[in-house]
Amino acid sequence: MKSGRRRDWSAYLFALPFLALFGAFVAAPVLYGLGLSMTRWELLSREPAVFAGADNFREALSDPYFWKALAATFRFVALATPATVLLALVAALGLHALRGRRQSLYRAAYFAPTLITISVAGILWRWFYNSEFGLFNALLAPFGLKAPWLTDPAWAMPSIALMTVWWTLGGPVVVLLAGLQQIPAPYLEAAELDGAGPWQRLRSVTLPLLRPVLLFVVVLNVIGAFQVFGQVYMITRGGPEMTTRTLVQYVYETAFNNYRMGYAAALSWLLFAIIAALSVAQFRLMRER
Amino acid sequence: MRPCRLIPALAIAVALLLTGCGARRSSPVTIRFWNGFTGPDGRTMLRMVQRFNAENPDVQVLMQRMDWSTYYNKLFVAGIGGRAPEVFVLHTRVMRRFSEAGFARPVDDLLSGPEPLDAGDLDANVWAAVRFGGRHHGLPLDVHPLGMYANRRLLREAGVVDARGGPALPADGPSLLAAARRVTKSAAPGQPPRWGFVFANGLTNAYTLMRQFGGEFFTPDGARCTMDDPRNARALRFCADLVRRERVAPAPESFDAWIGFRQGKVAMAFEGIYMLADLRKQTDLDFTGAPVPRIGPRPAVWADSHNLCLREGMDERRLRAAWRFVKYLSDHSLDWAEGGQVPVRRSLRDTERFRKMKVQAAFARQIADVRYLPSLPFVFEFETELGIAVDRALRGSASPEEALRTAAANVNRVIARRRAAGVAP
Repeated sequence: MKSGRRRDWSAYLFALPFLALFGAFVAAPVLYGLGLSMTRWELLSREPAVFAGADNFREALSDPYFWKALAATFRFVALATPATVLLALVAALGLHALRGRRQSLYRAAYFAPTLITISVAGILWRWFYNSEFGLFNALLAPFGLKAPWLTDPAWAMPSIALMTVWWTLGGPVVVLLAGLQQIPAPYLEAAELDGAGPWQRLRSVTLPLLRPVLLFVVVLNVIGAFQVFGQVYMITRGGPEMTTRTLVQYVYETAFNNYRMGYAAALSWLLFAIIAALSVAQFRLMRER
Repeated sequence: MRPCRLIPALAIAVALLLTGCGARRSSPVTIRFWNGFTGPDGRTMLRMVQRFNAENPDVQVLMQRMDWSTYYNKLFVAGIGGRAPEVFVLHTRVMRRFSEAGFARPVDDLLSGPEPLDAGDLDANVWAAVRFGGRHHGLPLDVHPLGMYANRRLLREAGVVDARGGPALPADGPSLLAAARRVTKSAAPGQPPRWGFVFANGLTNAYTLMRQFGGEFFTPDGARCTMDDPRNARALRFCADLVRRERVAPAPESFDAWIGFRQGKVAMAFEGIYMLADLRKQTDLDFTGAPVPRIGPRPAVWADSHNLCLREGMDERRLRAAWRFVKYLSDHSLDWAEGGQVPVRRSLRDTERFRKMKVQAAFARQIADVRYLPSLPFVFEFETELGIAVDRALRGSASPEEALRTAAANVNRVIARRRAAGVAP
């Protein structure tokens, strides 16, 4: 027991550099934000911050724009996450079947978009989507079609989700591919000897063994999708008719356009609570029994 | 190769050292100047700053440009932290918010100081718009009103011509509608569609018409938003009808408005004078500029101004230098006008040089009629609501009356919230 405790201490010592940074730049601001969420503080007035209890949270619950932003966020997650994970799984299975240099080449190709910063990717896709000179409508023009990619309330969010899938696919592909490579080959060989076809091998051997990796990918992707900001900010700024204004965008506008710091902090904490609850639920659902 | 590279590097280092020493000897005052001129206007401004620096060796102006949307965030964070630049630009529509927070030093005493400037030379309405609590919180550099840009070729081809065969620019509602109808019909079958008009910016376009129809946005005491004023609804109805009923303007959901005008698909659009530089780069567009037609019963046109503002709490020497720079920009605002702006010094506009700037001079005829957006502490929320109302009406997802009613109710909620927090009347 004693030696165990001593090891604990040395572990903390090793973790200290990280803990110091984490404390200063994550934990402290998060707690500060929690305190802020219980104040009324309009930055551009001369009034100081005033304690307001749960007022900000009450306001959020009766704020139609909060619900609208929440709905937009859920719509984005529902569009982007399943598509990303499924496509990544298919791509990883395909890559897994390749060998050597060709595998590295395609893996790099899938990963390349992720390396582009969002401001560049966003501007690029805003041009792709442009209804007058955009690439996509130029491709559709020979068929006499013209799509309102970003200008129609029904189209805008799927367009942003599509761009996001392209942009973020690489990460999950690489992780899932690594997961696939961890599955011992004898399991699959045994299944094949037992007469299992490719589909059955995938369903009964590969996917169950891939489950922890899949869980990791899904949880990270959901968390990331809930925090969507860059794409929306660069491509639609929340329009048309606010149909793509997601929660983080609303938090940003509340804090930095309306200068209502307390309310913005409260909205952030609500978003945090939602993400935390969903992450726990996903762990419960997909935990190995 | 490497030693060769080293020599210029050394030379630069030595030069830096030398200028550093030189600077210390005469110690010029450093003035930081922030603005959002990231387009061609930024290059114009940079040249003016460079000229000022050359002519004033005792002052060194360092200009920093950033995108307007992030500019205001950076400015207010810097201001809160006490690190605001000595000189910065504020739009008239945000002046009240920033001056109430104590950001911008009133300039009234400087006008009659050692480097005087006659405020009587400024356009009275532009100057009055930066006055809060009896004092002016910045020096207006320009006014950038909306104006009508017209594609001369499309008008001519549609037969919208005057007696001499040149394109006839509409000056009122009926002639605008007639011209727009003719252009829209003039597209040959099988050819890409042509549009008479396009809403290049819903908010400024609709705001212009609302003011022309005499609509108000708030009660005089500012206690209630009256955006749903029936006169505003009538103006918005005119706009929506161009799209929905007359079909002479493309629906916003399927068209990139300004690009469409630049591509020569649209005959007329109302946009700010600052778009001029954009159009000038294009050699294949035969365009002209004119005042916005008078569609409602009274003349009115949306505009905003760039104001040169000074930070609070500068020492005497720094303040002098900053003001000298501000006055220099104002005195040389004809250079600024070249890039697509209207200077607000009447003596400068009354020159041959300005009259030769055809489009600027045409837009400048509207100065007496310019209407700024209401001056509010919650300007962003107001603009968001107005923008959405216009958008909904143009898309046909709500009637103009209903869209404005919703917007007014939302703004009134903001007012009620501020009143409950004790920051509003």
